[in-house]
Amino acid sequence: MSVDPCTDAEHSLQAYIDRVLTPDETEAIDRHLRVCSYCAERYRFETDLRSLVKRCCCDCESETPPGMVDRLRERCRSVEV
Amino acid sequence: MTPPIDHEPAGEALDRAAFEEEALQHAEQLYRIGLRLSGSPLTAEDLVQETYLRALRNRHSFRPGSNLAAWMATILRNAYLDDVRRAARRPSSEPFDETTDYYLYNRLAEQAETNQEAILRRLSRSDVLDSLSELPSNFREVVVLVDIGDFSYADAAEILGIPIGTVMSRLHRGRRLLKRALAEHVASAEDR
Repeated sequence: MSVDPCTDAEHSLQAYIDRVLTPDETEAIDRHLRVCSYCAERYRFETDLRSLVKRCCCDCESETPPGMVDRLRERCRSVEV
Repeated sequence: MTPPIDHEPAGEALDRAAFEEEALQHAEQLYRIGLRLSGSPLTAEDLVQETYLRALRNRHSFRPGSNLAAWMATILRNAYLDDVRRAARRPSSEPFDETTDYYLYNRLAEQAETNQEAILRRLSRSDVLDSLSELPSNFREVVVLVDIGDFSYADAAEILGIPIGTVMSRLHRGRRLLKRALAEHVASAEDR
C-alpha cells in the first residue's frame, strides 16, 4: 500500500468491483470511500458503467432469436454422434 | 484447456438425452457470448449450433460435476477461432494507448460540468456495442466472458487456456480500452 489512500483506491477499483479483494482490503476501501467523495464518485461511476455495458449486451435485442433453442434441440436429436 | 477429443458413442440414449437437456439450459448465455464475439446474430446462432454438435460428439470427455457452461464456452470459443482462421483475419494488435481506469470519467467530466448519471446517459447502446466490437479480440473475449458472460477469472482462464494472471491483466487492460473507445464515441458524436 502506498501512503496515498486515493492512489490505493484507484489501483483496487477493478478488484473491488469484481469482489476479489480480501475482507480486510474491502473494508479498507469502504472506509476510504465513506470519507472521500472524489474516489466514491469514481467508484460509483465505474459500477454504473459496468451495469450499463452488461445491460446493453443482455437486453432484448441480444436475446436468442425466436425458436433457436427448439432448432438446437431438433438438430441435436437428428444428428448421429 | 486442450480441445475435447472425439470419442466413440457410448450408445446410451438416456445419457445423451439428459446431456442435451442440461446443455440446452446454457443456450442463451452461449448465444450472448457468440453474439459479442462475432458481432452478428446469424454467425452467433451458427456458432451455437456448431458448439452443440461438437459438445454432443465429445460429451464423454466432459467431467460430470464440473462447470458445463464453461466447458461449452470453451467449445464455442474454439468454433469462433476456427471461423476467424477460416476468414483469414488476423487478430488485430492493440490500437490504443495505455490509459487509466478513470480515463473515461475524467475525459467526459472535463467536457462539461455534469454529474456522473448525465455522463452515462450520453452513452447510447450502439456506443457501447461498437466500442466493445472495436477491442482487439484477445481483450474483447476476456471482457465478454467475465463482464457479460458472468464467468469467474478461473473459468475464463480455463476457457481461454491462459493463466489466471493473464486473464486479470487482459481484463483490466480491456476495460480501460473499452472506456477509451467509449470516450472517443462520445467525442465524435459531439463533433457531428
